[in-house]
Amino acid sequence: MIDINQLSHHFTLGKKGDLTSLSVLENISFHVRAGEIVTIVGRSGSGKSTLLNLISGFIRPTQGEIIIQDQKVSEFDESEFAAFRLQHMGFIFQNFQLIPSMTAFQNIELPLILKGISEQARKKMTIEMLKKVGLENFSGHYPSELSGGQQQRVSIARALVLEPPLILADEPTGSLDSETEEDLLRFIQELNKEMGITFLIITHDDEVAGIGHRTITLADGKMVESGVFS
Amino acid sequence: MKIKDQFRFILQNMKKNKIRVFMTVLATAMGCAFLIVLASVAFGLHDSIVSDMLENRTINEIEVVGSEEGQGITDQDIAKFEELEGVRAVTRQKFVQQDAVYSIDGFEANAPTVAAHFPSEIASGVELAEGRLPEAPNEVVVGHHFIPSLTPAEGNPDEFYNEEGLIKEELQFDGDVIGQTFTMEIAKTDGDQETTQEFDVKIVGVMKAPGREWEWDQYVYITDDLLGELEAFTGTPGAALMDPSTFEDVSAEEVPYDQVTVIASDLESVKNVSEQLEDQQYMSYSIVNEMEQMNTLFTIAKAGLIFIGTIAILIASIGIYNTMTMAVTERAPDIGIMKAIGASPKVIKRIFLLESSYIGLIGAAIGIAAAYVISILVNFGLPLILEAAFNEEMPAGLQFSSIPPLLIVIAVVICLLVTILSGLRPAKRATEIDVLKAMRREI
Ligand SMILES: Nc1ncnc2c1ncn2[C@@H]1O[C@H](COP(=O)(O)OP(=O)(O)OP(=O)(O)O)[C@@H](O)[C@H]1O
Ligand SMILES: [Mg+2]
Repeated sequence: MIDINQLSHHFTLGKKGDLTSLSVLENISFHVRAGEIVTIVGRSGSGKSTLLNLISGFIRPTQGEIIIQDQKVSEFDESEFAAFRLQHMGFIFQNFQLIPSMTAFQNIELPLILKGISEQARKKMTIEMLKKVGLENFSGHYPSELSGGQQQRVSIARALVLEPPLILADEPTGSLDSETEEDLLRFIQELNKEMGITFLIITHDDEVAGIGHRTITLADGKMVESGVFS
Repeated sequence: MKIKDQFRFILQNMKKNKIRVFMTVLATAMGCAFLIVLASVAFGLHDSIVSDMLENRTINEIEVVGSEEGQGITDQDIAKFEELEGVRAVTRQKFVQQDAVYSIDGFEANAPTVAAHFPSEIASGVELAEGRLPEAPNEVVVGHHFIPSLTPAEGNPDEFYNEEGLIKEELQFDGDVIGQTFTMEIAKTDGDQETTQEFDVKIVGVMKAPGREWEWDQYVYITDDLLGELEAFTGTPGAALMDPSTFEDVSAEEVPYDQVTVIASDLESVKNVSEQLEDQQYMSYSIVNEMEQMNTLFTIAKAGLIFIGTIAILIASIGIYNTMTMAVTERAPDIGIMKAIGASPKVIKRIFLLESSYIGLIGAAIGIAAAYVISILVNFGLPLILEAAFNEEMPAGLQFSSIPPLLIVIAVVICLLVTILSGLRPAKRATEIDVLKAMRREI
């Protein structure tokens, strides 16, 4: 599913004439098989988010290649990557990233609109998704009218609505209490089992890391471990 | 993303900031209306003048002034003109070079006299109101205003006229002039002494009133033969009141015509005939020449006014630029999320361009409607105001403002072009929004 080959990334800081280079990732290589749940752990600042952002195409690697579903996405241009994301990736963010001026329904519908799906089909798929995350009674609610857990479920529904084979999550439980966190983890495992969706999840949380079939540990931009979480 | 959905998106976004969008649309509408109304004046006046010219019979007349060497037009030349393709008639006139005095039954008038070739006058479109054309040498036709200009021969001339400058009704000549014989008094001089002679002329026809109210036709149209008699009496060409000894030779053949007009068979032929005349070294003048110059002039005026109007739209476009920039800034987090999910930069750019052109289009539509209303008001109100101010009636059919479809097309194109251009940079900025920064609410 995902192939990372000798990926390095450094940020350039400072003003013109006084540039410093900050190396964040060094020579990372790993492989994620389809249907796996892989968790990424590491201390704050170790480069976890940077790694996920590279895979998502939000930033471009300084070196190395990223291959997702046999496509060398690290060579895509912005439009190609956008189309690829829409088609193949779902995202779950720590702070949900819902559009505040849109209702739960409209937020979930958004990827379908971007894909150009007809209004009728859209409505059906969105309602189905709302049911799946147990929010059928909240379809007209704006994000500000939903609890944190409900918002996260809307964002998961949005990530799932186009049925992508891969879901990337950066600290998905970071804003949730432990009970909602458990719900979410159960849901992720369910989706993984039933639909074979591959998950790549960044976390600080041992419990979250525990659901991974495999865990990648980063330290100071280097991969120090890849194995079953213990 | 479907166009329909893009459109719904735009409407949703515009609804979020109704007042700002409304103000921007208003500014655009004002700019657009300003452009149209301004240019419509040039269009309106041009139309009025052209239709005025076209109504006039003189539109297919070509006046031949003479040859390029400065020679006058004689019968020989006229024969050539009549041969030209596209010529309907050639009218030629010689003026009697003195004001003859015509009198009958205690009434008299000083009237200009002209010898005309009647068949070609009729062929050119001149019509008689009553009577017929002269057949005998001493038969004449008089202009429409000849009879009203007759005054009593006796009495104080100051008392003949009423306040409007016309001859008092009770002093006017009434009765039929057709068939009446007038005496025509012609003077001659031998350098020292003036003598007069009376000729009898019989009025057989009266011309139709001229096409326009302000035209005055007081002429007496005589035959060539009668002119010959007058010249024989005065001994001068055109029966001028001058000493005959100052002229070398007086043979009617060589006296050029005072006015020669070639009438083309239709408007299209005017240019062609003009060119043929030019080729044959004649100096000529037609209203078509003048119209071409006038068209150029009006085209320049229109372009200039449209340019000034465009500046107004450009000013409005600053508002659009501002509105779009603010819209992009406000929506940056949303745009970031959309990009993260998989909206391509192209779609984002299109949405914003669509929004700015939509504002432009609504503005143009409102502007056009407003311009029509203003145009109607101007056409209706301005003559009333001018009439009140100057106490003078405006010529009928005068249009101050006219909005042809072409002007609408021009205005819409300019409006759209300007609004799209002004939306270009904000739209580009939207595509450049960094996903991560936007999601961290850093923009
Ligand atoms: N846009 C950026 N420009 C410059 N430096 C950056 C940028 N983003 C991240 N960094 C730096 O890269 C390093 C790794 O950051 P990253 O966000 O990947 O850490 P992380 O492992 O996700 O940490 P956390 O667990 O706190 O989220 C940090 O030292 C950070 O300062
Ligand atoms: Mg992080």
